[in-house]
Amino acid sequence: MKKVAIVGGGASKCGRREASWRDLVQEAGKAMFENVGNISPKDVDSLIVGAAQPERFVFQAHVTPMVAECLGITPRKVAARTELMCASGQAAIRYAWACVGSGMADIAVVFGVEKMYMPDMTEAQTNMTCVLDREWDGVNGLSAPPFFAMTAQRHMLEFGTTKEQMALVSAKNHHYSTMNPAAHFQKEVTVEDVLKSIVISPPLNLFDCSSITDGAAGVILVPAEDAKKYTDTPMYIVGTGQASVGNVINNLANITEWVPLKMAVQETLRTANITRDEIDIAELHDCFTISEIMEYEAFGWCEKGSGGKFIENGEPHIGGKVAVNPRGGLLGCGHPLGATGILQALDIFQQFRGEVPQGRHVKGAEVAVAHNLSGAANVHSIIAYSRDLK
Amino acid sequence: MTVEFEKIKRQNMIKLPYMLDFYPLQDAKFTRIDRFFQNLKERKLTTTKCKACGKVLWPPRIMCPECFSENLEWINLGVDGELYAFTEMKLGAPLGFVEDVPFCIGLVKIGGLLISARIDGAKYEDLKIGDKVTLKIIELEDDRIFYRFCKVKE
Repeated sequence: MKKVAIVGGGASKCGRREASWRDLVQEAGKAMFENVGNISPKDVDSLIVGAAQPERFVFQAHVTPMVAECLGITPRKVAARTELMCASGQAAIRYAWACVGSGMADIAVVFGVEKMYMPDMTEAQTNMTCVLDREWDGVNGLSAPPFFAMTAQRHMLEFGTTKEQMALVSAKNHHYSTMNPAAHFQKEVTVEDVLKSIVISPPLNLFDCSSITDGAAGVILVPAEDAKKYTDTPMYIVGTGQASVGNVINNLANITEWVPLKMAVQETLRTANITRDEIDIAELHDCFTISEIMEYEAFGWCEKGSGGKFIENGEPHIGGKVAVNPRGGLLGCGHPLGATGILQALDIFQQFRGEVPQGRHVKGAEVAVAHNLSGAANVHSIIAYSRDLK
Repeated sequence: MTVEFEKIKRQNMIKLPYMLDFYPLQDAKFTRIDRFFQNLKERKLTTTKCKACGKVLWPPRIMCPECFSENLEWINLGVDGELYAFTEMKLGAPLGFVEDVPFCIGLVKIGGLLISARIDGAKYEDLKIGDKVTLKIIELEDDRIFYRFCKVKE
């Protein structure tokens, strides 16, 4: 398989946008092509679109040709759409990587988009409740907040994790997102703000939860050998891992230890030929504060059950053991499902190029991972990126 | 030339369509595990167990995912469960459940399984991990049926 590079990308502003699904596509698409001056839409031979639920949120299926039409792309090698709920965007990057790496595609656009604000938000909440097994879990009201609330409750019981420790995750990520103009939220959030925010599903308060967000983003993939034709500073895809264990609650590996994430981490380190200590930046899926805490543990930066202490000691901050979510995370940037994995890749790309504000720049970073979980944390997906081709 | 303009009327409210309804279709026209729902009507929570490899399957299946045997039997899970975790839906309920907010949701240990369920008969503040809960059956307006659990009064 050929080595593959990302040579550029762009995004829409994320947030509660007064814009349609296709408006978001055009905003991000324009930014993406402006970022890579010497690739025009007509040069693109392949398009893979990450979109979680356009059928529900905007009542539109068959969205790949719509994105192609909005951006003046005429795919002639690969046209496809990926759905892996919260990891839909990352799944799109994985498949585009495989297509370019295998020679099936030469210049591939990977595009992610989700329009989640609807006139009646009950409808949006309904969409989010058919993610877990609808007939056996969703039917009990088990959408993401109650599921992660119970995960947090068990983690607190078994390991002594506190609400204050969880709130520290939110404060950290909101702090970094104040320096990210594309983020949904640009306001500092203190531990006290988190603890005083309204309760969504106890023990989770509003600021423990990532938000419903509109947004789109795209990146362009080419064979690594061609990358310098388009930019002096490409980013390389160097490894990946993914695992899925069970689906309905009874068949999950474990509630308080994310076994499939541990599997995906091992596979990522193996395929990228790196150790976890070489990772400078980790864009982790902080859909809820408890998620990030459990991810420190599964990545092995701290022992099982000690994720709360890890953040208490400042380890996941820039300058600590590993910079976790210097983009601002899902908590600070919002979580437009199909776009999230691509927004993470784009921010890492900008980190390597030194294009992010100083306060959240991880200086000298060479290796990064982007992680998404989906569903009842039964599926975990990781891609490793490198500044240099080794 | 005047451009024709007409204000048209459409039905404002539609009945909750089945594919936006979280409760599954239950009769034999739509599912091969209709027996599960017949058993619920008889106040029994059951599931399938594989007679070939012995695995108790949840949710009930028509084939064992472990060994692909179709030789399954229905077993009764009993009525007594234990609360493994719980929370409360306070905001963000989907269509069909908005009227119920706030309501409690739990993970219940029963018959060697861990299943999610609505928890009735107690406020969030009155629940604790390890509480004994007991089976409750609900029937929808169209005769479909489902299970919940109730906190056992001490």
